Amino acid sequence: MSGAGSKRAVRDVNRRVMDQATRQRRARKALESLEQDNFHDDPHADLVMSKKALSLFQDHPEEERKAKRKSRTTEYYKQRFRKNFPQLLEEDAVQNPNPPNYLSAQTLNSLQPARHFCAVCGFSSKYVCVVCGTRYCSRRCQETHEETRCLKWTA
Amino acid sequence: MPVASVSSTFVLDNGACSLKAGYSSWSSPNVIPNSITKAKSEKRRIFIGNQIDECRDLSSLYFMLPFQKGYLTNWDYQKQIWDYMYGKQCLNVDTPSKNLVFTEPYFNFLSIQEGLSELFFEEYRFKNVFRTHPGDLTCYKNKMEHPEEPCCLVVDSGYSFTHIVPYVDGKRVRNATKRIDVGGKLLTNHLKEIISYRQLHVMDETYVMNACREDCCYVSLDFERDLTKAESRTESRDYVLPDFTNLRRGFMKSPEASNGRPEDSEQIIRMNNERFAVPEILFHPSDIGIQQMGIPETIAHVISECPEETQRWLYQNIVLTGGLAKMPGFRERILKDVRELAPNEFKVIVRLPEDPISYAWQGGAALADDPIFRELSVSKLDYQERGHQACVDKYYL
Repeated sequence: MSGAGSKRAVRDVNRRVMDQATRQRRARKALESLEQDNFHDDPHADLVMSKKALSLFQDHPEEERKAKRKSRTTEYYKQRFRKNFPQLLEEDAVQNPNPPNYLSAQTLNSLQPARHFCAVCGFSSKYVCVVCGTRYCSRRCQETHEETRCLKWTA
Repeated sequence: MPVASVSSTFVLDNGACSLKAGYSSWSSPNVIPNSITKAKSEKRRIFIGNQIDECRDLSSLYFMLPFQKGYLTNWDYQKQIWDYMYGKQCLNVDTPSKNLVFTEPYFNFLSIQEGLSELFFEEYRFKNVFRTHPGDLTCYKNKMEHPEEPCCLVVDSGYSFTHIVPYVDGKRVRNATKRIDVGGKLLTNHLKEIISYRQLHVMDETYVMNACREDCCYVSLDFERDLTKAESRTESRDYVLPDFTNLRRGFMKSPEASNGRPEDSEQIIRMNNERFAVPEILFHPSDIGIQQMGIPETIAHVISECPEETQRWLYQNIVLTGGLAKMPGFRERILKDVRELAPNEFKVIVRLPEDPISYAWQGGAALADDPIFRELSVSKLDYQERGHQACVDKYYL
């Protein structure tokens, strides 16, 4: 028992505690990652198309050429309207500053108190990791958390 | 699915996840994934829209989506998908001889609106175009089914977000419309995240885990009770992952067969509290740190922002649409929670259409045959004379 206690004491001395801003940044990053489309790289990224191969994919090169005369290429539309979401938002703030608009349509903060769940197992949690502020519910989950995610995810 | 008949109007409910497309004379639309997909097993081609059905190995699919946060940002992808859809390989639509009913997101951005105008009239050269929002079509359809209701509250839970939209006398109350930033994409990504941390790395398996969410998740009617029950882990269910040789889509084992032990070559994940904790985010976004109201609270808030004389009518005609409305228990939970929040003397009625995904499309198909369609739509001639302003005057005033 005393051995475990002294071990903890040593750890406490070396412990780096994350400040509030870092915790928030980390939480925001976790939320942003939930918007991602893909978590792995393009599986075709390493492919290099030879010109020969390209012509194989076009079933009707003749027709294609004819169609191109009247229709614009996809490349045109890619360039013509190229705007990502933050750009659109910024533009909207100028063009459409009065509510109702995208920003004003966001629902309000909840009036109900937030509930807390263990980040490891998902059940109700009572405790908070002193280092990073992550929630856990039991000694077991705390150990798992410290071994895997605590401080390992910081930006 | 589609009937062979071809009418003069094409209806396209353009969702961020799937296109609901078909002629107004059809009884139901074709549902086509609104994405271009790359598979690691087939390096010689890409899969546009429903071509993905031709792909044998659906593991680690790479998605290229036209929409970002519910708004059209990748025009080259969208153009490719539309070209394919209108083309001979898919629905074979002769666009210059057709009218179009099209849905766009609420509070769409100006530059996207302009881009759409240009595409519809200059590229596809439709005769008449009516642009609207999925909720407007839902409200129209609801009015056909329940003509006695003067007001209607649409809850549209889609892939990117959830909108709560009140309609009074068929007109959208714009300044009371609210958005919750929780949709199917976020739920699937969250499920992937927790399963990857707790059991098996599935971060790359968006397609498989989305199916898993659809098969396993349900909305709890009493979250606290279910959570306590799940702690004993006796209610866990096994979900068998597909291997794409013998099994193309995963499935959930029956409670008796869910013993946590995979048979022969099976690969399983155990679904315990994940089954209801994931959809719970819709009702309490704060569970994962999104500081927003959940659906029932937002419904009560939206209705309180509407004129007082309309409030009782809104409470008694709540319509649920969008892919997430198909989750088991969704309607019951909303009814229960809204009942608790609504004033006692008001009736609360929550309606779940038979197919919440295509419900808005059905409304569009019906509207296309309504004489009012002519009045609402912008013709190519209008556009050629006045450009995008013609659309602004018709749709956005």
